[in-house]
Amino acid sequence: MSGTGLLQDVRRITVLQGSFHVSDAEDVVLSTVLGSCVSICLFDPAISMGGMNHFLLAEPGEGHEIDPLKQQLYGAFAMEQLINEMLKLGASRSTMRAHIYGGANIHQAMARIGSANARFARRFLEDDGISISLEDTGGSDARRLDLKPATGQVRCKHIATADVPRNALPPMRAVTRTPVGDVELF
Amino acid sequence: MGNITILTVDDSPSMRALLKHALLGQGHEVHVAEDGLCALDWLNRNIPDLVITDINMPNMDGFGLIEALRSQDRYRDMPILVLSTESSDDKKARAREAGATGWIVKPFDPDKLAAAVRRVTH
Repeated sequence: MSGTGLLQDVRRITVLQGSFHVSDAEDVVLSTVLGSCVSICLFDPAISMGGMNHFLLAEPGEGHEIDPLKQQLYGAFAMEQLINEMLKLGASRSTMRAHIYGGANIHQAMARIGSANARFARRFLEDDGISISLEDTGGSDARRLDLKPATGQVRCKHIATADVPRNALPPMRAVTRTPVGDVELF
Repeated sequence: MGNITILTVDDSPSMRALLKHALLGQGHEVHVAEDGLCALDWLNRNIPDLVITDINMPNMDGFGLIEALRSQDRYRDMPILVLSTESSDDKKARAREAGATGWIVKPFDPDKLAAAVRRVTH
């Protein structure tokens, strides 16, 4: 996975909060804008396929009720979805490479959230045996992130928070879109 | 239903923690394993009332675990629930053929999980 180059003439897919996308199409670019949220970019050079997720919070706090409708905004679910989809399409933990982006501490009151998100992502990848080849987290800038999944090419542009247009941050995915906890007994 | 002993099998430490948190909150005794092989190792020494397993795991996946358990007399009738981000019909059919009792899609709803646990262990 490399971090250079402008990406033009492409089909751009925005990765919203609580969602993920995996592709090996050469004309696809996965994009998002991050504040305290974190995105993981995965790339497996063995099959020229990559993916990106975008999560809002690391984990439920100690003793917090687990809100099923918000569970997909948590890192554990976002990480598992992305990794499982990569594995399902032929990727391997041993050849995948990860980049971690985001986790900015934009507001004083949110300082813990950005750092906790980045720390969570690092620990999850280490526990999962996936190599982290680049980490660009923390600070107080928002980040505009583009991943070309077929090549692993990444562009991460820092944006001073004051310069982020109000509509630049991708909206939260409608959390009711995914059926939550559907049960089927055989 | 009284409190029961549940083995949860998932390769994600965070998902194990989430699941354990939810099941402990429902009053059950919860044990965790990180893949099918670790689960079999624990199950050679213990017999729970229920196993809840992920599908995509290293070393031994959920399908392999279910087949291995169903090949043993003492686990022939024990309920086994699959808890997975996957929800395709072919994966569900494969789990059913392997001997799974049911399928729950992640992210799980703690109330639906509790109801499913009650139904399969009643």
